[in-house]
Amino acid sequence: MTNNDDILTVAGLNVAYGESKALFDVSMSVRRCQVVACVGRNGAGKSTLLKSIAGFLKPTSGSIVSNGTSLVGMAAFAVAGMGIKYIPQDKKVFSDLTVRENLELGSYASQDYDWAPVIDYFPKLQVLMDRKAGYLSGGERQMLMVGRAILGQPKLLLVDEPTEGLAPSIVMHLRNVFKELAKKTALVIVEQNLPLVCAIADKVYALKEGRIMAELTDRESIKPEACEIYL
Amino acid sequence: MAAAMNVLRWWWGLVLAFALVALVRVFLPLPFANEIIIFSIYTMGCNYLLGRVGFISFGQPAYLAVGAYAAAFYLFYFGNNPYVGILIGVLAGIVVSFAIGPLFVRLRGDYFALVNLALAVIIFYLMQKVLADITHGDNGLWFLTSLTSTPVLDLTKPDHFFIFAFLVAFALWAFYKYLDDSIFGACCLATKLNEDKVKFLGYSSFNIRLFAFVIANTTTALAGAMYAVYLGFVSPEITSPARAADPVVVTILGGVGTLYGPIVGSIVYTGMKDVLSKVLGNWELVIGFVLVFIMLAGEKGIWGTLEPLIKKTFLRVTGNAADQGGSSR
Amino acid sequence: MMDTQLLISGVIFGLSLGGIFFLMTIGLSLCFGLMRIISLDQLLYYSIGGYITYSVSLAVGNIWLGVLGGVVVGGLAALAVERIVFRRIYDRDLPFTMITSFGVLIGGVGVIKYFWGLVPRPVPVPIDAQVFIIGTEIPVYRLVIIGIAGLVYVGIWLFLNRTIIGKAIRAGTEDVEHVEGLGINVYRLFTITFVIAGGLSGLAGGLHAPLIMVDPNMGLEVLAFVFMVVIIGGLGSIKGTLVSSFLVGQVVSIGSLVYAPLAQMAPFAIMLLILLVRPTGLFGSQMLKR
Repeated sequence: MTNNDDILTVAGLNVAYGESKALFDVSMSVRRCQVVACVGRNGAGKSTLLKSIAGFLKPTSGSIVSNGTSLVGMAAFAVAGMGIKYIPQDKKVFSDLTVRENLELGSYASQDYDWAPVIDYFPKLQVLMDRKAGYLSGGERQMLMVGRAILGQPKLLLVDEPTEGLAPSIVMHLRNVFKELAKKTALVIVEQNLPLVCAIADKVYALKEGRIMAELTDRESIKPEACEIYL
Repeated sequence: MAAAMNVLRWWWGLVLAFALVALVRVFLPLPFANEIIIFSIYTMGCNYLLGRVGFISFGQPAYLAVGAYAAAFYLFYFGNNPYVGILIGVLAGIVVSFAIGPLFVRLRGDYFALVNLALAVIIFYLMQKVLADITHGDNGLWFLTSLTSTPVLDLTKPDHFFIFAFLVAFALWAFYKYLDDSIFGACCLATKLNEDKVKFLGYSSFNIRLFAFVIANTTTALAGAMYAVYLGFVSPEITSPARAADPVVVTILGGVGTLYGPIVGSIVYTGMKDVLSKVLGNWELVIGFVLVFIMLAGEKGIWGTLEPLIKKTFLRVTGNAADQGGSSR
Repeated sequence: MMDTQLLISGVIFGLSLGGIFFLMTIGLSLCFGLMRIISLDQLLYYSIGGYITYSVSLAVGNIWLGVLGGVVVGGLAALAVERIVFRRIYDRDLPFTMITSFGVLIGGVGVIKYFWGLVPRPVPVPIDAQVFIIGTEIPVYRLVIIGIAGLVYVGIWLFLNRTIIGKAIRAGTEDVEHVEGLGINVYRLFTITFVIAGGLSGLAGGLHAPLIMVDPNMGLEVLAFVFMVVIIGGLGSIKGTLVSSFLVGQVVSIGSLVYAPLAQMAPFAIMLLILLVRPTGLFGSQMLKR
């Protein structure tokens, strides 16, 4: 567990939306191929944390470092270029573009035109290739977003509430996909679905009102009840 | 005693500002002073719309024309009394604003701006060509000589006109200051910042915006009517699209959303225009770049930057005095 | 009962006018869709297009070269403005960017006045020929304009639907942050879009120049119409701008045959009517709030 294994280190992060502070002194770290979960109630600051790492929000103070490079102040596309991909909430895909075109954009951005792994994880996408993304169901959109994000072999995926509003069968499918992905990619997953989180996470951070309340690193202790206490 | 102090505190800003304006009259030529006052009133409407309600209007010349032409029609065709002319201009402003307000106010900010501009162009075209029979097109309506002298303040005399304009402006600014301090003022600002929240609180953002629209554009019409009486003549030039920039530039220059911004802006703008047009042939170049520069530098404008500084120093000074005086709180 | 010949020439006139409007408004629509700015300065590039066409055609003797020059200089001017001004203010709100672009427009008109003076200049029509369509004499030049507008529409369509940059731009009109999150440099997309808009505006100015006299206020004269087209069609919709460009063109043209003074005002009345029913225009996107 040397520091060389850390692909992301956040220290003392403070983020505010204008005058209202959202994150207070947040610190966390992610190792290679580690699955880290961030749990917390609505408004706890989980999305804010991901957005700050991804470069969409500028922190007022603190540091975000990945493999020796500071991410603070970098444009979001540059962060993505470093192999850190952000998958936002709300299952937003580009509605007017087809599934194929959505993937093409992902390929263009990452210069990775090999879609085999994507189809491997999400065979359904092959069938939907020429459908406009706006006509996809919630689960299909999530599959598209994840599939598109893994192009370019990212070293870290920041996933924001992937299973929200999805049917149990799709949640299960995603869970398995994440488990497979974790063999090559680190994941930071923000989730409200505690059982899912506890099934796949190596480490859990509990956030409450913008602060890290607890860091659970022992796989044994990662259970929904244990997380609940801190929320 | 406390009540008197409050009254004094409320009025002293206005008194000071207008004392300064009176000083301008002393040191600068009369036409300049008159121009500044009317232009300030013109700009106030735009300033209020942009700064307090969040609407940007590139079409203020339209409402200027409404006031000016209404006064002109009266003074050319019907009567001679300049006071009545101005009153007619104001009434026209109210009527037109209420008529088109409900449609315009529902629009998004950008559509609103463009629609207003289109209105200015249409009115320009109306006055220049379509209604040329009664407006005499580009020749304009002349009625300077037919104005009657009025008792007490003879508006046909420029120095009396200045006093009249000064009083009108003072009253108008007191009105706007009152608005700012009132619930209505708070509502306007709130609607600008977050319309949904205002609606959730139970206020009708549509009504708020409509009233603000009417108030602002009636102010502009008032300026138009005053121009008509002061110049004794009105032509379509007043509403030409090329002049659409003026109120916006002056608003930004002075400081958008501030109470005295329009006055400061008018003085600087008219001064600049005067000086520059003697030096450069076309000063539009300068105005354009000045505008861009101000926007890039933080959009606060002259008074917008000065006001907070002055307030801070003043507070510090009075704070020190209070400490030394040992007053208890 | 209207003379058929008059009607047909009126329709062609309207179509060519609509073509000019379209060239200007695609740029505006794209800039709004992608960058959420109202680029009033496009009218400056239109004026530049007209003036460069005038100067180059005077110097070289070939008007088409002049038009080409207009496109190039229009695009370059747009590039300069994008780099120097807009790049710093993309994150500001709409009124802010509107006022700033207006400042650029006014300042630019001042520059034009400085170099070329106030007197309107004539530009000769490149193709003098007339052709007979259904027994009516139609200037070929007008047909050429319609043709060019059509080609541009096809070109833009191909660009947006068949090239990856175009698809990225279309995606950006839906959600720019999301496009950036994929790793695409959206700022480069902004520049590309802005320059295309500037070039097209320059083309509009260059093509229009022989039909009107170029004068410093030509941009401002056309401004109201251009924005009426944009509003009627709805900001952000290419199809909408195509439809409303030609609609407004026809209204102005046929309208002036029916009753001249009202023709200029008719588009305004139509715009108000449409806004009454649909406050975001015919095809405008409902999703954008104030």
